[in-house]
Amino acid sequence: MFVVVALRWVDERAEVDPLSGRVRTSDRSAGASAADAAALELGLRLAGSTGGRCAAVSLAPAGADELLRGALASGTDEVLRVEPAGEPDPRAADSGAGTAVALAAAVRERFGAPDLVLTGDHSPDRGTGATPALLAAEFGCAQALGLVSLDTEPAADGRLRALRRLDRGRRERLAVPLPAVCSVEAAGVRPRTAALPAVLAARSAEVPVVAARAAPDPPPLTAAHGYRPRAKELPAPAGADPLRRLRELTGAGQRSDPPRVVVTDDPAEAADELLAFLRAEGYLDG
Amino acid sequence: MSDRGAGPSTAAVPIPRPQRYDFDAIVVGAGPAGSAAALELARAGRSVALLERGPFPGSKNVYGGVVYGRVLDGLIPGWQQEMPVQRWVTRRQTMVLSGARSLTVDFRNENWGRAPHNGATTHRAEFDPWLAEHAQRAGAVLVPSTVVVALLRTADGAVHGVRTDRPDGDLTARVVLACDGVNSFLAKQAGLLGGDQASHTTLGVKETLALPRGVIDERFGVTGSGGVDVEMLGCTGKVPGGGFLYTNAESVSIGLVLGLRGLARAKVRPEHLLAELKRHPSIAPLVRGGELVEYSAHLIPEGGYRTMPPLIADGLLLAGDAAGMCLAAGIWLEGVNFALGSGMCAGRAAATALATGDTSAAGLAGYRSALRSSFVLADHERLRDAPGLVLSERMQQRYPGLLCDFAESVFAVDNPRPKPGFRALLRRAAKRNGVRMRDLAKDALTGLRTFG
Repeated sequence: MFVVVALRWVDERAEVDPLSGRVRTSDRSAGASAADAAALELGLRLAGSTGGRCAAVSLAPAGADELLRGALASGTDEVLRVEPAGEPDPRAADSGAGTAVALAAAVRERFGAPDLVLTGDHSPDRGTGATPALLAAEFGCAQALGLVSLDTEPAADGRLRALRRLDRGRRERLAVPLPAVCSVEAAGVRPRTAALPAVLAARSAEVPVVAARAAPDPPPLTAAHGYRPRAKELPAPAGADPLRRLRELTGAGQRSDPPRVVVTDDPAEAADELLAFLRAEGYLDG
Repeated sequence: MSDRGAGPSTAAVPIPRPQRYDFDAIVVGAGPAGSAAALELARAGRSVALLERGPFPGSKNVYGGVVYGRVLDGLIPGWQQEMPVQRWVTRRQTMVLSGARSLTVDFRNENWGRAPHNGATTHRAEFDPWLAEHAQRAGAVLVPSTVVVALLRTADGAVHGVRTDRPDGDLTARVVLACDGVNSFLAKQAGLLGGDQASHTTLGVKETLALPRGVIDERFGVTGSGGVDVEMLGCTGKVPGGGFLYTNAESVSIGLVLGLRGLARAKVRPEHLLAELKRHPSIAPLVRGGELVEYSAHLIPEGGYRTMPPLIADGLLLAGDAAGMCLAAGIWLEGVNFALGSGMCAGRAAATALATGDTSAAGLAGYRSALRSSFVLADHERLRDAPGLVLSERMQQRYPGLLCDFAESVFAVDNPRPKPGFRALLRRAAKRNGVRMRDLAKDALTGLRTFG
């Protein structure tokens, strides 16, 4: 089985300027998210159990070479970095479409058609989780998204058994035909620690780079602004004059019991305080 | 690999003498000492592995302090143009606090804001990667996310490598440089770090408070890239220790260093003491409105020269905090400089020993003589009594009050009573704080001998 693991290079410790909203990232703290690391581990296990190959790809700038060298040290047979075509428009939402187009084209060109593409379930920086589905569309194969487990040995019918989380604690069992794109959560998979000789060997490994195929033009962006919730409709305040209406609206001048914070080191005193509160609120009546 | 697990093992791993080595040298810890050592070794043409437990150098650090420039002159010429600086220190203060009062010695020098700069505040999360990058560019191999769990030793006790927490994680080298910090497991395994470590170790706690650049400039009386370094005494209640306040570009670092034994005896929490310091009338106006963006704590070796471990063993050198290279001498509170200096000396000594083919303790002895002829051991040796003096009961509990009483009586004007002489005021302040003039004279003499 030939498994391709698509890794998103992301800085989970990015800082957001509270004034401008500009996001500051650092190559040093960037890497794969926990979900992507789980995807890589599953890819390595699947390739290992089937005697196949595993490759890691990332659409990212040169800083991601370290991420891919880490994948090589962990045991991937090949890596590929896809150089982004240009700076993305920071105002435009990332649908994942461009990423899927660029990755699929690069993978096809470099490795041919994979049996399985694995990714994390969503990227921590954008978090739409749409890229895996779009990748499946690009490859024209099955998709199984948001998996919490994936058998690392195909069943007798050649399909993969997977488990997906549903609402209200339910689970869904899936039999995934190949070829497929699967996205996994960072659950129940402990990524392996690379062996030291492999880490040292990967330090000097050359990471092949290809240019991303230009993504289809996104819809024209005419304006971008922050989310503004719709105004909440309230009944008009009662009152004969504006001052009364303003007081009614804001609650100014009305008697109220402000919340109290009680700090005490004495357990007995604390218990008395709690009981008094519960009594006052009517919880201990009857 | 029986010792592999969650933490370092307690014993070194016995191995036969290696036929061939993976590296000439292994440096454990990519802090200032480790990166400086790796840089020197790589420059000397030696193959060197720099092992770091964090995902990148500086990722695990607690630091808000000052790096002084002269030691960097010898390590990275032109460092001023490229080092990640928060602010150049143009103003240094020593502040003594007592009750709601304070007495400050304030020195400023605008020339320190220009080359050659005296010192700079920096974040270790930026400084350490910068330094490690220099070592890498020189040829050192940085291996992050790797914990060294044991030394590899031959039957004669000589160190020939390390065991890491990775699979197949043994790495051999002719010499190992332990720069693994204050609680150095490697120094312990080598039997070099013994004794009562807790009694000469302090706990440093620090808050980083975000403030707009303009507010910092206004409050601290600086402009542009100028900054302030404040060292404090008398701000730790009954716990021996001191305080610090440094300005960064858009934040201030405020913290305390607290003697571990005293902290345990006083049964107070460090964050409460720090909150008290921030409420002090002399400090509150400086930090008011600061948004807490980080709280962190770390141990600091403050025993000085008298508590330093042996720095050399067969195939092993200690540098930085692992070697107790932190100078806590009142007006001087320096760790990074001594780490850099000791790392440089360790790297050079190891390179020389490798060139001669003798990495035994005798072959590495050049390290100690290099340290002694540099500021690193010379300062520590000369100021060997400073930690005891600074952390003494009188200095901590009585002198801050004495100094503030004295200053108050000097500056207070109580006409029409005649003005008393300074000697009378000093005697009165000493009496009020329970200090005998004999002890005052004795401490002054000790201070003169120590600092003079």
